[in-house]
Amino acid sequence: MPSLPQRKVGIVACSGEEIPEGTVTRLAALKVLEELRPNDTVTICLPLFLAGGEGDRAFAKFYPTIAVDGCEKRCAARATELYSNKPAVSLLVDDIIAERGLPRPQGLRRLSSEATPLVDALAEAIAAEVDLLMAARWSRAEGKVLEPETTTPAKVSSAACACGSGIPVTRVQVNGRALEIMALDPILEMAYNQGLHVGVDGQADPVPEHKGVEAPAVFLPAQIMDTVRLYNTIPAEDDAYYAEAVRIAWQSYCAGKEQTHG
Amino acid sequence: MTEQFAEATPLRVVVVPCSGIGKSYGTVTREAAYIVVEDLCPETTHIVPLSLLVLGDEQAQEAVRGVQVITIDGCKLACATVNVGQAGGQVAREFTVLDCYRRNKQFKPQGIAELNEGGQALAQALAQEVAQAAGELSAQGGTHA
Repeated sequence: MPSLPQRKVGIVACSGEEIPEGTVTRLAALKVLEELRPNDTVTICLPLFLAGGEGDRAFAKFYPTIAVDGCEKRCAARATELYSNKPAVSLLVDDIIAERGLPRPQGLRRLSSEATPLVDALAEAIAAEVDLLMAARWSRAEGKVLEPETTTPAKVSSAACACGSGIPVTRVQVNGRALEIMALDPILEMAYNQGLHVGVDGQADPVPEHKGVEAPAVFLPAQIMDTVRLYNTIPAEDDAYYAEAVRIAWQSYCAGKEQTHG
Repeated sequence: MTEQFAEATPLRVVVVPCSGIGKSYGTVTREAAYIVVEDLCPETTHIVPLSLLVLGDEQAQEAVRGVQVITIDGCKLACATVNVGQAGGQVAREFTVLDCYRRNKQFKPQGIAELNEGGQALAQALAQEVAQAAGELSAQGGTHA
């Protein structure tokens, strides 16, 4: 089976050679890549955006990317946006220095030991952003973070009854109201196995109209509702709601069966 | 920062390492460049950061035009050489870590954030080659023919 590309976050460090902050970005990025989040992160050399191919330039579209810069020129963030895609996050060493009250780093080839807390703090900030991006939805088509999906409860869901009897209970949402129906799954299974299908059965009964309940799109076989009544006590005033709930469940069940059968 | 190399450019040889971050070879180029400009030829060489060239920074681009530029690349994609060329500079000498490693197989580089002894030795060997080239180019005059 072909393996799908794993979800990861890209890190692009400026690595600026002429200032200590450039070395800080490089070491912090490497700390995240090698120690803090090795399974969740990838990197690319910044100059590859110009020297590389189309694949390299697609980097920040394919991966949500964190640009890490050593100075206000923001080479990593701006070059990434210029050649690839707008980074999801842009971090600046100066901001970390200000936030944490840390001393300015010294040294180019070898950072002074006083710079170690800054490297650690920047690495932690990157790792925190990695965690946020891993939890977010990323569109590779659009190259941006998508709005969180609003979780709507499934229209039809089944579970064993809380009484411990083992009888399955199906919960169906009708017009914002959740109805629980005992033994609905086996009833629908039996009906389907007896040859009843959505909208094709000659003995089907239309669901009665009821205030607040939309007119049914499909017919519900009368036998199903009769059997449901055997196992469930349905108040007369809620009959239309239950009928609609069973119709939705029946439609969903049949659609599932048809998908399974191709 | 960029004013520094803009002022110094006519008298100096520019060294541009590749900025590679994914492999040991990239770190070797960076280390070798620092050895050249800090230890071996501090008066005649200086580094122009590749990230500024990638961004298209005018001062950085100016700093590689009309001068002797030595590039040091970590892989065959030759980012330093390509980017200097795209910035309008002419590369006088180009070095690659792999070529140097072939001549010094006893120095096997490992580590990216921190090079092992082999990597340090390879960076030293590479820096010697670059420094020699820088000396030759300086003797010809800092500006490019």
